[in-house]
Amino acid sequence: MPFLRRRPAAPVLLLTLLVASAGLTGCAREADPDTITVLNSATDQHEHDQQQKFFDRCAKPLGVKVEQTSVPAAQVATKALRMASSHSMTDILELDGSELPQFADTGGLVPLKKAGVSLDGLSPGAVSMGSFKGTAYGIARSVNTLALFYNTDLLEKAGVTPPTTWDELKVAAKKLTRGKTFGMAFSATPDADGVYQFLPFFWSAGGNEAHLDNGKGVEAVQLWKDLVTERSASSAVVTWNQQDVNDQFIAGRAAMMVNGPWQVPVLSEHPSLHWAVTTIPVPVAGKDPVAPMGGTVMTLPRTGETGRQTTAAKILNCLNERKNQVGWGAGVNNIPTRDTAAAQYKADNPKLAGFADTVAAARSRTALVGARWPAVSTALAGAFQSVLTGSSSPEAALKRAQSQATAGGE
Amino acid sequence: MIAVSTRTLRRRGNTVIALVILVILLFPLYWMLNIALQPGESLASTHWLPTSPGWSNFERALESQGGSLVTSLVVALGAVVVCLAMAAPAAYGLAQLGLKGGRSLVFGTLITQMVPGIVIANALYSAYVDLHLVNSLAGLILADASLGLPFSIVLLRAFMVSIPKEVVEAAMVDGASRFTAFVRIVLPISRNSLITAGLFTFLFAWSDFMFALTLNTTDAVKPITLSMYEYIGAHVSDWGAVMATAVVSAVPAAILLIVAQKYVAAGITGGSVK
Amino acid sequence: MSTTTAAPAESVATSPAAPARRASRATLTRWLFVAPAVLYMLAFFGYPLVRNVVMSFQHYTPRTFFTGEAPFNGLDNWTAVFGDKLFTESLWHTAVFTLGSLLGQFVLGLALAVFFSRRFRLSGFARAVLLLPWLVPMVVSSVVWRKLLDQDTGVLNTLLMNLHLTSEPVPWLSSPSVALLSAVLVNIWVGIPFNMVILYGGLQEIPREMYEAASLDGAGPWRTFRSITLPQLRPVITVVLVLGFMSTIKILDLILALTGGGPADSTQTLGTVTYQLSFQQLDFGQGAVVGNVLILISAVFAVFYLRANRSDFAEGK
Repeated sequence: MPFLRRRPAAPVLLLTLLVASAGLTGCAREADPDTITVLNSATDQHEHDQQQKFFDRCAKPLGVKVEQTSVPAAQVATKALRMASSHSMTDILELDGSELPQFADTGGLVPLKKAGVSLDGLSPGAVSMGSFKGTAYGIARSVNTLALFYNTDLLEKAGVTPPTTWDELKVAAKKLTRGKTFGMAFSATPDADGVYQFLPFFWSAGGNEAHLDNGKGVEAVQLWKDLVTERSASSAVVTWNQQDVNDQFIAGRAAMMVNGPWQVPVLSEHPSLHWAVTTIPVPVAGKDPVAPMGGTVMTLPRTGETGRQTTAAKILNCLNERKNQVGWGAGVNNIPTRDTAAAQYKADNPKLAGFADTVAAARSRTALVGARWPAVSTALAGAFQSVLTGSSSPEAALKRAQSQATAGGE
Repeated sequence: MIAVSTRTLRRRGNTVIALVILVILLFPLYWMLNIALQPGESLASTHWLPTSPGWSNFERALESQGGSLVTSLVVALGAVVVCLAMAAPAAYGLAQLGLKGGRSLVFGTLITQMVPGIVIANALYSAYVDLHLVNSLAGLILADASLGLPFSIVLLRAFMVSIPKEVVEAAMVDGASRFTAFVRIVLPISRNSLITAGLFTFLFAWSDFMFALTLNTTDAVKPITLSMYEYIGAHVSDWGAVMATAVVSAVPAAILLIVAQKYVAAGITGGSVK
Repeated sequence: MSTTTAAPAESVATSPAAPARRASRATLTRWLFVAPAVLYMLAFFGYPLVRNVVMSFQHYTPRTFFTGEAPFNGLDNWTAVFGDKLFTESLWHTAVFTLGSLLGQFVLGLALAVFFSRRFRLSGFARAVLLLPWLVPMVVSSVVWRKLLDQDTGVLNTLLMNLHLTSEPVPWLSSPSVALLSAVLVNIWVGIPFNMVILYGGLQEIPREMYEAASLDGAGPWRTFRSITLPQLRPVITVVLVLGFMSTIKILDLILALTGGGPADSTQTLGTVTYQLSFQQLDFGQGAVVGNVLILISAVFAVFYLRANRSDFAEGK
């Protein structure tokens, strides 16, 4: 036990220093009057840069700068809430459309009209996505939706034409299933991805998210179940999110898939893969496809700083001008919400016409149930998951889902 | 001689078994490396062996995550210092000083392990805002120290219990204060346990995600766990890059572990003080 | 060479006229040793704990973050949570998950520790390398495992099919009856290194003489293990099991990344339910209720642990 040379005071000293320096480092930042702050989910470098480009374009004429704080999408809501509680909210808050009602319900967002933001020329669906109880709180400059991607080579080889009805879909998927390839792939995970993918089928069958047990949604659940039992789709769809589905499609393990336009850059990295897009099949011929509208909305939190609020509103208006919407949509593969912009986008990107067409009639997820959406979404996911895993019949599952969604009523 | 060859045979046999165990247990990590070395392949069609290994994923990973690695290092080391500075005296107090209420202190230490990380992180946030500790290295270090504190106290106490009281008493008879005796006698003897506790604390702090996420609202302080989480979220399709980042993030901790490994083996539990 | 210290110096050779004052100063010094840790823990653990308990009786929603109001709603949160079938299911899942993981991690960790305590080439290296699963952040290992366990394209099923061990791909993560097992297996994989390291250390401390004496008495390996190894390891075993229990019961990131709680809620545990309630439904009051249940269970366990080891905690042993 030699007396090793220790520095006994060092730890204590260091601790003291740390605690003392705590007061010096990381002070809450004073808001810079010439900087407008934004909270969003643009963690991807490409998207982050695109955002900054348009922010700068709109901020320069106003003589201000725009600074983004980006966190993963799943964290935006909680981060925003924490900021709200510490009165350090950003000037612009970009939320996912499905999160808007809960935030609007708190009274912490400024109604856009009052702030001077104009929503003229935007599609009704887009306006409704950013609205709560009839008042617009968020503005979406682009949205995405779902469509049916198909592998043109595989379809040609099997002599199958892209399906337009559910019956055609089942037949085509069965024909296309050979060897390791499944005819169809979709996401049926118990989270936002799965629900998003289920909605087109649910809605076009007449399903109503406010009344899950009205019997109309049964067909849609049954379709998914049939695809899996007939082996046209893998039973692993309950574990695949939209990204996994895309991976399967790229690897040639799925001839058709339901997915969104954001996958286009990834698909383009594989030039040997030949694909095309069509609208999602409907129950019977003649009906219009009804797909969900996804994407983010920009809102103005109540910070109490009217000057900055006015500037932020001006920036929002600028971002939503036709030219900027088209540029943004092209940059991130989302469809602009301004009708004129969407038309131009469709002209510029004929391959994605399927999306542009669907968006025009796309529906906001929160239009009917508002702030109850998270509960409804969870219940709906539980329904199709229990049917796909064989633990429930479609009718029973949807009945149970309705009681779950309305439990602890709000 | 027959006896020798049996032993050698058994040794070789053990080595083979060890290799098999390694292969089975470490396969997922191999797979991670495998994916990282195959840039451009979609995940569903990864080959078993990286026949033409490419390093571009690693380049990208280091480029974007390098800074975060440094942050993690600083935070983890800081957390170790803070944690040991509190744990060592506390463990000594519990082990040797016969404090009344010692048992409830141990119970309290155990309780700390029960509180889910989210609960702590959220409660801390509001306190941190008032104390201006949000987005600060110091704040994160303080928080991360909590990850290793209970474990360190338990571990160190288990060891210090076996230090004979006479050793310290002897020093005090010579005129040293209890604290000096603690520092100059108890600490050196407990070196292995200290290193072990420090190592585990380092690893806990290194892999902390909860505090990093909750207590930082800007990019000012971004440890590797946070930057990786964002990277995974942003590059969902680019598995090669994600896996490369994961490999890169494990390397510093792995090096530390291998280096300190012999201390860990020796310092885990209370043994007789030789 | 003498260093200045913060603690008041204790002079041994004081006059016998003030023994009481000396004694109380001595106690003060002793408490000062423990004080920093105690204060820290009160701040970093006690405060969140109290806050969580209070929150479980409040109507705590997004509005609270804006207005600061969280009206007390009595037992509403508690009845809502306890009445939800998901809660009772998650209790059961948590129990299965925790017990399964602990058992697996411990048994395999011990087996490996025993195996590696024999000296052979590579034993040191192998021991170090086997710690790697523990070093990879949980987020990443879960994602890797998710790919490995994929029903159609996962490596594990490909292997099993090629070796003709199964004819159908095993639905590791896509079947409600298998998913929880898969989660347990992954958690065992993650936890083996920690168990192995600590148990190995404990094994090293067992004096060789005891083994020699036992073999002289003619005891076989199993008998030796039962009568010498296990009893000697008892303190280490309890440490490993207690710490393992505490961290496993509140497991969250592994399950979230591996299955998201599905399929069909078959892998929902108390940890994931808390997360879902607080951060997806944004009902923090209900989330706090589940959090408190978690803490309560751990507390009960801790009490058992303390009673079982009463002797170890006797005054200043």
